Amino acid sequence: MMALLQLKRRLASLEPRRNLVEWINNEGFTAIYLFKVLVASFLTLWLAMRLELPQPSTAITTVFIVMQPQSGHVLAKSIYRFIGTLVGSAFMVFLMAMFAQQTDLFLAGLAIWVCICSTGAARNRNFRAYGFVLAGYTAVMVGLPVVSHPDKVFMAAAWRVLEITLGIICATLVSATLLPRTASASMRNTLYQRFGNFAEFVVAGIRSTIDQKAFESGNVRFIAEAVNLEVLRSITIFEDPHMRRRNGRLNRLNSEFMAITTRFNALHQLIERLRHRGGESVALAIDPGLRELADALEQFAGHSLTPADAELLALRTQTYKAGLPEHVRHQRSALMQINPGANDLLDFHTAYELLYRFVDELHSYALTHSSLADHSHAREKWDEPFMPQTNWMAAIAAGLRSAFVLLFLSTFWILTTWPSGAAMTLVSALTVGLSAFSTNPKRMSFQIACGTLLAAAIGVFLVFFVYPLIDGFPLLCLVISPVIVLGSYWLVRPQWTGYGLGMLVFFGTSSIPDNMTLYNPYGLINDYIAMVFGMLVCAAAGAIILPPNSPWLLHRLEHDLRRRITFAINAPLKALGSSFESGSRDLLNQAYGLAAGKPMVQRKLLRWMLLVQEIGHAIIELRREQAVLPIHPSYAESQPWRQAIRAMGRALTRLFLKPTQGHFNRGLAAVEHAIDCAQRTEEPFASHFDTSVLRRIGSYLHFIRTSLLDPQSPLSEYASLVESKE
Amino acid sequence: MYREIAFHGVYVPTMTLIFFVAAVLAWALGALFNGVDLYRFFWHPALLRLSVFTCIFGALALTVYR
Repeated sequence: MMALLQLKRRLASLEPRRNLVEWINNEGFTAIYLFKVLVASFLTLWLAMRLELPQPSTAITTVFIVMQPQSGHVLAKSIYRFIGTLVGSAFMVFLMAMFAQQTDLFLAGLAIWVCICSTGAARNRNFRAYGFVLAGYTAVMVGLPVVSHPDKVFMAAAWRVLEITLGIICATLVSATLLPRTASASMRNTLYQRFGNFAEFVVAGIRSTIDQKAFESGNVRFIAEAVNLEVLRSITIFEDPHMRRRNGRLNRLNSEFMAITTRFNALHQLIERLRHRGGESVALAIDPGLRELADALEQFAGHSLTPADAELLALRTQTYKAGLPEHVRHQRSALMQINPGANDLLDFHTAYELLYRFVDELHSYALTHSSLADHSHAREKWDEPFMPQTNWMAAIAAGLRSAFVLLFLSTFWILTTWPSGAAMTLVSALTVGLSAFSTNPKRMSFQIACGTLLAAAIGVFLVFFVYPLIDGFPLLCLVISPVIVLGSYWLVRPQWTGYGLGMLVFFGTSSIPDNMTLYNPYGLINDYIAMVFGMLVCAAAGAIILPPNSPWLLHRLEHDLRRRITFAINAPLKALGSSFESGSRDLLNQAYGLAAGKPMVQRKLLRWMLLVQEIGHAIIELRREQAVLPIHPSYAESQPWRQAIRAMGRALTRLFLKPTQGHFNRGLAAVEHAIDCAQRTEEPFASHFDTSVLRRIGSYLHFIRTSLLDPQSPLSEYASLVESKE
Repeated sequence: MYREIAFHGVYVPTMTLIFFVAAVLAWALGALFNGVDLYRFFWHPALLRLSVFTCIFGALALTVYR
């Protein structure tokens, strides 16, 4: 590995060889991966034949499925595959014991099981989804081949578990020890680069050199990265003890990053509005503070942030934060001289409040980031996990789709008594399972079908024309290696995954010789035809039965997104910030994936998301402020400002559940009433923004008001009517 | 030592049990190593862990087959 790196560096110094370096970076790693797949699969095949397991094909198929370029993925996938197989096999033995003589009931039970598992797969993210898929289709794979010999089901299940375990062990060993490429390294890269991108984004946002489109795409990227980092984190804890020690800090880092992006969006929204509204005097008063921040961050823009850089960043933000109150007072007195209106003053306070919080959170992020260098650190203690949020409807749709496919095909099988019906049903269960957690099940199933067709052609040729001519294990390896290489290559290209999966899995299950080799051309060809037919039925079902990209589902997701406001208002305050942030990001990320190819819908979703996040964040801040109020009569529960805030909560809930003009007017009136009440309340402390609670509360309320009136928000159609009336 | 052990009426090869014992031992040792941050002295931690496991398993297996 070291030698390879040195070679790379030497080549990089030669100008004309740049292409070669690029090739090593991209294709070279793929080549290493392909080599590892070959080693792992041949090792497994040899061991399976040597240990006389009845179906070496199952073991080698496991290797194909489990192998990934990064060893963390392999470990995570293996563990879930093992668990899924155990659960699925156990369920099958149980089902066979219950309904051995009743094929109808047996198949119905199987359909229900597959329905449950597919729902689970669609509901979960990362490789846990994969565990569910496996629990579903392992049951089918164990049960259907022996459906006419119920006494054999226990041994079939036991052998299958053994074969899969062998495949898993070989795949994990090879991927972890032979030229390993770790997921933690790529996670570290993503983490370091993410901040550089964000710093660039902030600098451009502050200097107003970013247009709305770039702003939106930047936001989408940060959202996707937050969700992906969570997935990566859940994988690396399987892989790397080094990362496991930092698990809490990584969690915290992601959560803090989400908080700063939301905060910055809020700040950016406010500044843009000020500049458009023509609040020149206020904009001028805020500008110096912002410019200073942009200068402080410029150095980090576009570079990856190492822990050492993070320490520098922490120092910078520390000094900036320390100087801010003095700076605010100075700017404020300058502003006061030109007698600003009440609204302008509120804008000024809100902007500096947001800026102060933003810098504070940035500082905290920098501290957490720099703490990654230490093996153990006080910041490791963090109990606000990433809370994924999915729509039950989408998950249940996936479950129903698979149950329907299974019921339809097994009825067809019973009615026609087709000898290859078992293969057809089995493969369809596998395909619906595998496509359950893809955003486009129709395309995925179709790709798998195409891959299988190709695997069938190659398989028939190999089994009946090539295998009879060859002798011995090395020649067998030589013959099957082109298929494995081609399939694995497709498997790692995102747009080709389905082809690779179909080709590898179904070549593996049908054309790798078993320990008792059968020469049965008609059977094999029939089975392959049945497989492709079963998959095409799956593709049709994916397109017809509750497809995930249908408008009603996107509508549901949008509704869920808006309901996050209700969550921010009502959920218990503990760990609320990060669960609010992560849940809404997770929702948007899914919805965005499902709405691929519909830019209008995506844009609308993103706008809702930004609005919900800004307002939800402000509401959470309001609730936090109210939770730690000092004991004083002017802060009592019965005070008009606290009642007004509660009333505002109810009005906003109604508005976000059902956005109509009437609800909007009432919501806006409630916010304005709350601002009014807060301003009229006398306070025992000096009214500086670092000591006065009510001034901070006023800022957040004002911020909610500006967000509601924001011309970019999805509520702007109602807002424009209100403003024109004024 | 016996090469097979009766476990609830099923004969289990002693090697299988030893495999699990070795896995638990290797895991505990790995956790200890990680706790005091010893892995940073090694070039290839995964390979080290595999080798440690192999050594433990081999040593334990020698008590049965010798």
